[in-house]
Amino acid sequence: MSSTLSDIPTDGELVHRARKGDEIAFGLLVERYQRPAYAVALSVTGRHEDAEDAAQEAFLVALERLDGCRSPERFAGWLMTIVRNRSKNLIRRESLRDTDQVPTGSRSRVPTPDVLAERSEMRTVLEGVLAKLPEVQRQIVLLHDLEGWKHREIAERLELPSGTVRSHLHFARKALKAALSEMPEVPEIVRKIQ
Amino acid sequence: MIRRFRRGLDADDMGRDMALAEALGALDPSSRDPNYWLRFRGWVVTGASRELARRRLMAELTVGDVLTSWARMVVPTAVLAAAMAGMMLMRGGGVTEHPIGVEELLVSDIPRETVPVLLSPDAATGVVAFASEIF
Repeated sequence: MSSTLSDIPTDGELVHRARKGDEIAFGLLVERYQRPAYAVALSVTGRHEDAEDAAQEAFLVALERLDGCRSPERFAGWLMTIVRNRSKNLIRRESLRDTDQVPTGSRSRVPTPDVLAERSEMRTVLEGVLAKLPEVQRQIVLLHDLEGWKHREIAERLELPSGTVRSHLHFARKALKAALSEMPEVPEIVRKIQ
Repeated sequence: MIRRFRRGLDADDMGRDMALAEALGALDPSSRDPNYWLRFRGWVVTGASRELARRRLMAELTVGDVLTSWARMVVPTAVLAAAMAGMMLMRGGGVTEHPIGVEELLVSDIPRETVPVLLSPDAATGVVAFASEIF
């Protein structure tokens, strides 16, 4: 068991190897953090397409600035800061490009047949509900309940006190459940969490 | 009171809320496309290929390589500069300007007005007075 754990390279080791251009090491870092990076980007942008762009951009920017990562063991927190900044920049760019864009809270796309499917409907509902939460609560609830990060990891990587993470999570969950219960037509899966 | 509130949070929030996690799972792109994350990784690594190649190149360079590349650039430049200097000396036929004397060098930066001012009657008096006082 311990030998298996020691075989798993740490973030620090992967960062050192990626700095020398090791594609496998960089690929492992991407594999390890692509989901949380996407979750953080989604919590800021509120839209799949933007979250995807911001998360991808963030990885490329992180590689370019990898020499500036002072604590390679704390790569995750450093990366999440880049993800947040790229997501905010992307929103700013988009709002400059399209001044008529609706606010994040009520973003909706043109209905497609896909949207009619239950999971897409569910996604739309969740995006709408999540948009009503403060950004930090969105990040925490997505990282904890979607990505399975522990409080300690979230606290460390988002540079927040552990107690703050717990209370944000508590209020985010409460707000999510309340908001979902107010929705007249929610898919069956949502009813289970109420 | 605070402790009870905190304990309540701990009890509620220590684990994942699986029902909520299942609901939030709809936001995971792989719920619609199982290969999504594999492709995401591919996009990022492909996009990073140039930067990775540059880093590999930089890592492979030894101190000797750096010195060699430096010398390769500097030595021909130095040779060219020396050749140009030599040609200029040859063409000029040596030093043509007359040598500058020490006195000339000492007064070279003094403004021309200095001499007339010194030779004026007032200045002369001053100088004479000064000289008579000293000697």
